Amino acid sequence: MAFATTMASAAENPCAIGPELGAPHRLQASLTLDFARDEFTGHTVLAASRQEPPLKVVRAFAVQDGAALAHLHNVSGGLLGGDQLALKVNVGAGARVQLTTTGATRIYRPRREALPTTQANEFTVNEDALLEYVPDAIIPFAGACFSQATTIHLAQGAGLFWWEILAPGREARGEAFGYDFVRMKTDVAALGLPIASERVRIEPRKRSTQSFGRLGPYRTWATFCIAQVGRSAAEWLALEHELRKRAVPLTKHGETLWSVSALPTHGIMVRCVAAHGRHVLPGLQTLWQTAKQRLYGRDSVPPRKVN
Amino acid sequence: MEYDSANAALPQACDLADLQLLHLADSALPIGALAHSFGLESLTACEMLTTPDLPNFLQTCLEEAGTMEAVFCRAAFRLSDAATDESDFAARWLELNNLLSARKPARESRTGSASLGANFLQVVLSLTHLPLARAALDASKCSASLVHHSTAFGLACSLLGFDEDRVVLVYLHQSVASLVSSFQRLLPLGQSQAARILWNLKPAMIVAANRSAACALDDVCCFMPLLDWGAMEHSALSTRLFIS
Repeated sequence: MAFATTMASAAENPCAIGPELGAPHRLQASLTLDFARDEFTGHTVLAASRQEPPLKVVRAFAVQDGAALAHLHNVSGGLLGGDQLALKVNVGAGARVQLTTTGATRIYRPRREALPTTQANEFTVNEDALLEYVPDAIIPFAGACFSQATTIHLAQGAGLFWWEILAPGREARGEAFGYDFVRMKTDVAALGLPIASERVRIEPRKRSTQSFGRLGPYRTWATFCIAQVGRSAAEWLALEHELRKRAVPLTKHGETLWSVSALPTHGIMVRCVAAHGRHVLPGLQTLWQTAKQRLYGRDSVPPRKVN
Repeated sequence: MEYDSANAALPQACDLADLQLLHLADSALPIGALAHSFGLESLTACEMLTTPDLPNFLQTCLEEAGTMEAVFCRAAFRLSDAATDESDFAARWLELNNLLSARKPARESRTGSASLGANFLQVVLSLTHLPLARAALDASKCSASLVHHSTAFGLACSLLGFDEDRVVLVYLHQSVASLVSSFQRLLPLGQSQAARILWNLKPAMIVAANRSAACALDDVCCFMPLLDWGAMEHSALSTRLFIS
């Protein structure tokens, strides 16, 4: 933790770093996780992992429904300018995995000469497996330059609950939209065909986030993809209606807006914009619970956090 | 007085192309464009979007969704040159439209775009003989894949031999004109004011068209969460003027 604090402090104030550390920061690290379903117990286990600091998973915890829960740690406390991080997750046939973070993902302000921070995520969800990727928010600090690319491959019968929450920055510090840019590239494919594809580029200094059509008066943005390969269009339409009903009481104009729509095939997209981030996570959990019950006949289990 | 084609001088090819392009971009082309607001109706119904917001909103539309559609329009324009044979062409055509479908999270706007695209190709095929456009439409029907308006426009205009940059500009112009027309039915927006808004947005259309020329399909971004909200929630409106 002291290490993380030191790194955080240095990232916030690069001038405090001595000249011997003046070379452009560049760190390449990856975390590869391979989950499998134990044929005897029916439980999911972390069968193999390859970890390079600062990325780390301590262990997989058993969730009551037989799934495995893993916390994605970044022991440096956040992402630094020039970091090139990669996460690769394979969920074996029939396995059920829940991934979360231990806290918000902080994208620190880079040194002047640093390269952008990049994060590449690749998830493969095999036949009849389930991935629940439910992280905390991404918080880009003032001056941060962040690019994230996520690819998700879904096989026949594979399920997905995947969300991202993008905060405007450290609002209490008056840093809302003080970052240089955030780019998020996300592709979800089912049986090799694209079902959801997002290309987000936010450059607050070049294009106003407050412009109507973008965020307007809202500051936090969330996207939530729900999928299960093989369900019919009629079933997705029914779930769209059900989730919309659940979203109605969550929507308060000027505070939080929720929207729900069926994807071309195999899934649903939920979107949220909120004036304050505190409204987002409870809403996502409400819709996750409804969709999990409908698709799997089980309750969603919000991840236990560890410190 | 009837036009005597036998005695008339042959039209210049570029003049004919210009007139045909104007025709295909005309709001009177019977493809159903006037039936869709693409989410604007929801935004105006809850008074989130008002008349004074329009110029800024449409400018943002051009920077985000307009540029993305322009990139797909260009990709479709270049499709027939890139394909090695008809089967390769059909595969690329389906892939392009599937990619664009995945970029559109709102069900009604996605199917609205697809309705316009399929209708556009049908109308073009009723006007002129374009075997590749027919092949594209048939391939989409066979695979139950959607045909989007921007890709249909790019493909047909390429097969008709029009200039790519002109096609993209005209596509953007007709898209914005169609949105302005929707606003006129939704908001207190008079003809003169609508004309002024459309006139003033022409430089932004050129910027979007130029940006689209330098942008790859995989890289072009679109971040319009409030428009997404309007488009995704349109089906929940109790009284609706538009299909989307």
